Amino acid sequence: MTPASAPFSTLSRRLALLAIVSAITLAIGAAISPVRTWSNLLIINFYLVTLGLGGALFIALTYVCNASWNVSFRRVPEALAVLLAPVGLGLLAVLALGREHYDWHPHGTGDAGTFWFKEMWCNSTFWFGRAAVYVSLWILLSRALVTVSRRQDNTGTLGLTIANKRLSALFLFVYAVTFSLASCDWLMLLEPLWFSTIWGVYNFAGMVQAVLATMIVLALVLRSRGPLRRIFTDDHLHDLGKLLLGFSCFWMYIWFSQYMLIWYTNIPEEASYFIPRMQGAWGPIMVVNIVLNWIAPFLFLLPRPCKRSESVMMKVAVIVLIGRWVDLYVMVFPTTMGDWPVFGLWELAGGCLLIGTFGWLFFRSFAKAAPVPSADPLLGESLHYHC
Amino acid sequence: MSDRRLLASFDCEEDLLAATTLLNSKGYRIVDAFTPYAVHGLDHAMGLKPSRLTWVCFVCGMVGALGMLWFEYWIGAISWPIDVGGKPWNSLPSNVPVAFETAVLLAGFGSVFALLGVSRLYPGKKVQPVLERVTDDRFVLVLDEADARFDMSQVEAMLKPFNLAALEERVVTTEGLQR
Repeated sequence: MTPASAPFSTLSRRLALLAIVSAITLAIGAAISPVRTWSNLLIINFYLVTLGLGGALFIALTYVCNASWNVSFRRVPEALAVLLAPVGLGLLAVLALGREHYDWHPHGTGDAGTFWFKEMWCNSTFWFGRAAVYVSLWILLSRALVTVSRRQDNTGTLGLTIANKRLSALFLFVYAVTFSLASCDWLMLLEPLWFSTIWGVYNFAGMVQAVLATMIVLALVLRSRGPLRRIFTDDHLHDLGKLLLGFSCFWMYIWFSQYMLIWYTNIPEEASYFIPRMQGAWGPIMVVNIVLNWIAPFLFLLPRPCKRSESVMMKVAVIVLIGRWVDLYVMVFPTTMGDWPVFGLWELAGGCLLIGTFGWLFFRSFAKAAPVPSADPLLGESLHYHC
Repeated sequence: MSDRRLLASFDCEEDLLAATTLLNSKGYRIVDAFTPYAVHGLDHAMGLKPSRLTWVCFVCGMVGALGMLWFEYWIGAISWPIDVGGKPWNSLPSNVPVAFETAVLLAGFGSVFALLGVSRLYPGKKVQPVLERVTDDRFVLVLDEADARFDMSQVEAMLKPFNLAALEERVVTTEGLQR
């Protein structure tokens, strides 16, 4: 074990225990209430996949725009990107187990649609094959990004930075196309008759928001416990805070763009998504969703001192991470579970499984490499960063 | 504040930063600093208070959003109601985009004009640099020769270790700082 992992071995063990206990609880849940348990598993696995993918996205974006400020804590998004392999396979398993939820012709209603392209696109085998392709591409490319960066620790070659820059451009292109399609395949297709062309962007916004909040929490934990002390500075925190503020507003902007067009035209086939979610029992949850994902981060993150304060940033990041779960909950549960919001043991177990698995996997992968990319040519610039 | 100023010139930003930090901690009144480019950390060294421009921006944004929401409500529900797709007169979602744009517009204009106003930058204003060289390679610190215990030789001795390039006295006039 490297020294970096030493302070976290107890924490890792506890998180692994939490994951195991909640997994057993959910296994019981699967026997008692299979649909509800499956919905929880879908949320958890999609959440985890977007965190891993978000890590890779953050690395790729900063590479292509030649950013230096993030280099000192780049091992955090790199460890997130490594997570993609296990959680990606987990998501594929959940999708394979829940194929009937994406049924294009539920209960034998063969006349639901006749458009040939949709017939072909929503075919169950093609649908699952696509998912496998998306996940493998993400795992492959993000692995390559991390491997090149870790190799630089030993050699310090400038060529590796350039290699990663090319790889990042390729990743961004692949990511933009596949993630948009994937979010439609896995979440929107739960209601095959409903569609929204902004769905991919909406999920992108939520994903970036969540991954920024995750990086803030992790970097602050790693700073207070050792590996990133005096390396992750208040200036880095400030910039992550600005990005989180921006992406919270972006999420709200996209959420409203989707809502307003559907509200304005008021066509039954489009409004079918929002009617159960806005009118009736889900209405208050929708309000909670907006408060957690936009109003709270917007008001807390506006003042400069808040973005530089460890305790405020930690709280806001946790609020946003809970908000992300609520956002996915509102996307999935009204479709699979009906008009009444359910929250109980299975959802709590799901949340614990999410935290446990994530934390355990993260600290494991973070310990696999040096906590700082020590030979990166931009590291010095990042350590003296002033915003 | 008196009308007598002391100009201390340096050749590099590190000297200016260190000298500013020292003078500020000794309680000297630093009026301003002129540098060829933005020097990071100088605001902190000078002991400047956080900018209040953010409040101007926030208030202007709120005025824009709330004012436009009220205006749209007045148009759509009171002054000239038009039936659009059977929606209620006071439909909030249809008012949000314009309210958002107005908030951005007023926040942007408000901040820019407040900044220009406070720094007295207006069209036709003549450039009055304290020294020509601050636009090129000199870093100048302007001190207020405020009270009776301001001792020129003492200040000079204090600034010597920071590679002081020049020391000069000026008087405040309507034409700027004159010799």
